[in-house]
This record gives sequence, C-alpha cells and structure tokens, in this order.
Amino acid sequence: MVKGVVDWVDARLDLSDIKHFVAEKGVPIHTQEVWYYLGGMTMFLFGVQVFTGILLLLYYRPSSAEAYESVQFIVTQVKFGWLIRNVHSWSANLLIALAFAHFFSVFFLKSYRTPRELTWLTGILLLFLMLGFGFSGYLLPWNELSFFATKVGTGSAGAVPVVGHFMLRLLRSGDDVTGATLSRFYGLHVAILPAITTALVAAHLLFVQRQGMSVPLSIERAQKAGTRGPLQQMKFFPNYILRDVLAWYVVLAVVAALAAFYPWELGAKADPFAVVPPGIRPEWYFLAVFYTLKLIPSHVMGLEGEQLGVVAFGIVAIVLVLVPFLDRRASRGERSPVFTVLAALGLVYLVVFTIIGHYAR
Amino acid sequence: MSQIIRHCLPLIAAMALLAPVRARAQTAPAANACLTCHATQADTRLATPARLFSGTDVHRERGFACADCHGGDPAAGDKARAHDAAKGFKGAPKGQAQIATCARCHSDADLMRRFAPKQRVDQAAEYATSVHGKQLAAGHGDVATCASCHGPHGIRLVRDAKSPVFPTNVAATCATCHADPRHMAGYTLPGGAPLPTSQLADYTKSVHYAALTKGNDLSAPTCNDCHGNHGATPPGVGAVANVCGTCHAVFATKFQTSVHAQIFDKACVECHGNHAVLKPSDAMLGAAGHAVCATCHSGADDKGAMAADAMHGQFTQLEAGIKRSGALIGRVKNAGIEVSDQELALREAATKLTLARTEMHAFDPARVAPIIAEGTKIVASVDAAGQSGAAELRFRRSGLAISLGAILLFVVALGLKLRQIERRSHH
Repeated sequence: MVKGVVDWVDARLDLSDIKHFVAEKGVPIHTQEVWYYLGGMTMFLFGVQVFTGILLLLYYRPSSAEAYESVQFIVTQVKFGWLIRNVHSWSANLLIALAFAHFFSVFFLKSYRTPRELTWLTGILLLFLMLGFGFSGYLLPWNELSFFATKVGTGSAGAVPVVGHFMLRLLRSGDDVTGATLSRFYGLHVAILPAITTALVAAHLLFVQRQGMSVPLSIERAQKAGTRGPLQQMKFFPNYILRDVLAWYVVLAVVAALAAFYPWELGAKADPFAVVPPGIRPEWYFLAVFYTLKLIPSHVMGLEGEQLGVVAFGIVAIVLVLVPFLDRRASRGERSPVFTVLAALGLVYLVVFTIIGHYAR
Repeated sequence: MSQIIRHCLPLIAAMALLAPVRARAQTAPAANACLTCHATQADTRLATPARLFSGTDVHRERGFACADCHGGDPAAGDKARAHDAAKGFKGAPKGQAQIATCARCHSDADLMRRFAPKQRVDQAAEYATSVHGKQLAAGHGDVATCASCHGPHGIRLVRDAKSPVFPTNVAATCATCHADPRHMAGYTLPGGAPLPTSQLADYTKSVHYAALTKGNDLSAPTCNDCHGNHGATPPGVGAVANVCGTCHAVFATKFQTSVHAQIFDKACVECHGNHAVLKPSDAMLGAAGHAVCATCHSGADDKGAMAADAMHGQFTQLEAGIKRSGALIGRVKNAGIEVSDQELALREAATKLTLARTEMHAFDPARVAPIIAEGTKIVASVDAAGQSGAAELRFRRSGLAISLGAILLFVVALGLKLRQIERRSHH
C-alpha cells in the first residue's frame, strides 16, 4: 500500500534523489549518541504544542473579559478539554526543559564548530523563540499569577537602555498590562512566533540533514590522532527514525501521566485593581534571570541596577549567538576547555539560581 | 469694605475669645517654680508628679500648669509663699475635691470647645450616677475617682496606646482595684454577697479579650463597653440583653421573641456567662452532658429538652454534611476537577448553619428547621456533584492507564522490531 503510493508519486515527481538520500544516510554510532535524540524529542513536543494549541484555539477567547472564563469552560465543559489544556501546559514546560538540555548537550559536544555555525544560529534563535512562546502563553489564561508576573516581566524590558520605554509600550500595547496586552500576546503566541518558528525549524532540520550528525570533538580528535578508527554507522532509515519515534512515545507517556496526575491549576481571575498577591514569580525557566535581577542592588557604580542586569543578560544572549565564531579553537578541531568551563558555569548558575529563586521569598 | 468687615466680624470675635487661652498656652510654663523645686526633691512622692508632668502630659502640652489644679503661686521663690492658702493653694485634691477640680474645666462646654470640641462634658454628672460616685458620696474615700483611672500626672489622650484607659489597658486599670481582695473587702453585691475579685481572670479567658488582644480588634468589648466608663455600674436585671445587643443585635432581637426572655433574669448571661464569655459551640445546646440547657431542662417528657435535642441534632447533622462534602470536593479539586460552583454552594450552606444557630436564640425548633432544610438541600447537591467529579476522575485515571499501556506496548513492539532490523543488517 505505502509502496504503491510512493511509486505513484515517484512516477510523477521523480523521487530518486530523496530515495537515494534516505537509503544512504547514516548516523554515527558512539558513546555520546544518546544526545542526538534530544533535538527530535523537542521537535516532537513542538508538534504536540501546535496540535493542542490549534484545538485550544477553537474555544479560547482573547479578551480580558472572556479569556479566563473561556479557559475555565475548556477545562470544565469541553469534552477532553482538560486533557488538551493540561497536555499543552505540561508539554510547553517539558519542551523548554528539553530545549535547554539539547542546547547544553550541543554546547558541551562543541557541535556548533565549523561547518555547523548556521545550525547553531537557528537553534539558539529557536531557544529564544521557545522562551517567547512561554512568556506570551503564560498570560493567556488571564489569571492573577500570570497577570502580575507579566507586569514584572514586561517591566524588566522597560529597563533596557535607550529603547526600554519603547519596548515596554510595544510589549504591553500601552503603559500598563491590560486587555490590549492580552490581544498582543495572543497574536504573538498563535501567529507571529509560530510563523517564525516554522521557518527556523525547517532551516534547522534542513541544515542537520544536509550536514549529517556532528561527531563529538573528542572522538574526531582521536580519529585524527589515529588512536581511533572510523565510526560505525547506523542507518538513518529505518533504524534511527524508529529509535527517534520510540523516544517520542516515551515523552508522550510522560506528558500524558503528568497531565492526568498533576493538572495545571487555573487560579483566580486577574484583577488589575487588586493588590499584588505575595509570591509572584515567573515560570521556572525565567526564575534564574528574575532572581539575579532582584539580587542586583538598585544602584551599581552610578548606574541603575536593573538596567545593568538587563544589559548584562543582553550581552550574554549576543555572546551565545556568536559562540561558533568566538570558539575558533573548536572550529580548528582543537580542544577548547575555556568554552567547556563557561558552559559548565552557565549550567551551574542556571540550576542554582532557579532553585534559590524558587524558594526565595 | 464694609462688606469685608461684616464677613470677617465673626472670625475676629472668635479670635478674640480664643486669644487668652492661646496666649496662656504659649507663655504659661515660663514662670513655674513648682516644677523646678519638686524635681529636686529626694522624696519620690514629691518628685514623681514633677517628672510625670514634665513628660507627655495632655494638660501641660496645652499650656496648663501645676497651679491650675493645685492653686498656689508658681512665681514664688520659697515654699511658704508658693503653698500660701491665701493664693488658693489646695495641695493634692482627693475624693469629691478631685472630681470638682477636673470638672472645673471638663464640665465647662465653652472651655472644652476651645481644646476638644467633640469631647463630652458630662463626665462629672455621669460619675455621680456610678457605683463609684455613689460610694464616694456615701463616704467611701477609697473608690475610684478621675485620677485613679486616668492618672494624676502624665495624663495621655484616651487614643494614646500608652494611656491606662486605652481599650487594651482598661481591664488592667480596673483590675488594680477590682482584682485586689484587700481593696474590695467590705464591698458587697446587691444581695449582700462579697464583691468577687475574679473579673479580670475571667475576662482574660473570654472571646472578647481574645478579639481585643490577639485579634487587635479595638472595637471588642472591655470593662467600660458593658459597664459604662464614667457612669460605671453593673448592667441591672433586664438591661443585660440590651447591653449585649448593642453589638449582637440580631441575637438580642431573636432572644426578645423567645419564651426565655420572660424567664431569664440575666438574659444572655444565663447561658454565656458575663466576664468569661467563651466561644459558643453546639455542645452548649441539648439536654445531655455539659449542655447549658441541661441546667434547667431534663427528662424525656420535658418539652424544652426535646426542643434543645432536636435543634442540636439538626446542627450536628448539617455541620457534618458540610465537612463531608467539603472533603469530597477538596479531593476532587486537587485532582483537577473544576468545583468553584460547589465551593460557593458550600459557603452558602455554612451561612445557612450560621443563620440557623442565630435563629436558635428564639428557642423555637419550628423556626430553625426550614433553614436547616435549605442547608441540607445544598449539601446534597454538592455531594452529588462531588460524586460525579470523583467518577470523572476515575474515568480519567483508567483512561490514562489504558493509553499508557497502549504506548508501552507500542514502545516494546518498536524495540523488538528495531532489534530484528539490526540483527538482519548485521547478518
């Protein structure tokens, strides 16, 4: 049946190039190959997000008067609405966790080195986009926590020098977080970000397919030094693809279990005139940044503390984008312990500050 | 011009009236030898008034000096001339003289208007009607007069938290005499029994004391809220319900319609006590155990006992129902089922229980029953919703178990297929 369809299309479009590519493509087998699956798992969760997101769109209403009620309607009245909403929320969090894991694995394996600079570039932009999805999606249920957390989050954007006020107004669609902000975040979440993400995911995948899997620097160096022979290859189709699908199924099982046993709370409806409730904090993936900004004194060497923090994080983001171009040693196939140490420090910082930020009052 | 003068005349007149007071308030302390001399006395009885008056004192802050109450000549350089009776020196006024000294200003509406326009000026008149005032008139010199409660020197405004008559300090102030058996010896209740000295100890056990001191509710009653302050007298027979009713208006109204209103001498106090008013509970109602009704009602054919038991049973049943349903929807809510409507309904059921407990003060089961029935109906609907929520939860969990099983099967099958493919490729 499948063969029949393929032959029918082949007769009309000549798929011999693709068939040849699929038949010949191999994935190197080595001790670090387990990290290869993280990208696929992240992409699978992105697919889950698109699917559940479209279903939620059928009932969600993006206005301050109706957003909360519509989500409440989804989780209480719509058949399996609770499941779709819970899967969407849990999958979003797992997606970001996996995206970070993918990011660090690529960083530690130095897979960004020449010739894969563009793969890194699209990947890091996708990571930022995922954070953007998380930030914009968090406000959409229009509950108390998300409302005030968005106020704090967009307030930090206001600390950016020169363009801060413009950015704050651009994000909030005014001076304060209102129904207009909700409409804007909705547009961002369901149209602008998905469009850019789809294009970037396509480019990212294309680059990965064109260049094949990167072999870790240490193995490549051992091969060059002659202490290690050529790596065995696993066939991309069906061996690797099936393993990928297996990993996706495991992720699906985890998301389903979390959604059924730890349902995502809806909380109380946002009241812009209410007093800020205690314990307002952003989603876990912004906690480290949030807590760092809180720790910086209000004035440092004549500069505003928050401004300094935001500028510092901006510089870190730019440095991350430029890593393949800065780590010249890795691109030359040499060891680059400085970047390994920097990545390790970054990982420790994120983990420690996220934990402290979670428990800090 | 003439118009301006006409408009300003009342203002000019008011300023002229106030002028002497203001002038005195600003200049009086200039020549006060009393403080200079008394502050250096070795005898603390003589030095303390000077020290207290020099600190926070509402009168000194408004320009009054020692001589305004004690008389004498504050400008004199020696004791004989300063304490000269010819210059009005009267020493420390006590008893009726103290009442008269304070009343000289505090009963003068014109004068008080200049300092505290909203303050009452009938304290002395009220005092005369109080037990303290009557005992003083009867010759008991050790009863409380103005300074006993407000202090003689270093007097603070009532709203000052350090004042002995600030709400949180009143009980301790009254207790300086009323908790002292030696001081109260010789005083008796109207029936002739000795006046008890346990009021403070009892009051500190009460809900009122807890609300005032732990709940920081300054409107919670302390001694003067029931007994009056300047006219302090125990509420008499027939007045108790009115006194309690100033705050507990609904309960008092219900009670007035009850048969007990005609029987109880001490109204609310009969069941709730006076100073040691404890947190009421349903255990007070009924004809068994430590229920207060059992004090008078007992026996299977006692109508009062039957009514009390019936109402007690209804309260207990509704309360248990609310608790049971609350626990059920709590469990369902924790598992992610939306139950905000049921939570709201349960609050409504709790309100019905409160209403029924209030209605109970009319001591008529026929008036309580319909309210309890409404509450029970709400609880039943919440229970049904909770049960269907629990069923939904079971459905979700079993659905998940089945889908997880399916996923697991697929994963195993995929793993086997992979192994087969890999084996084949090795061969």
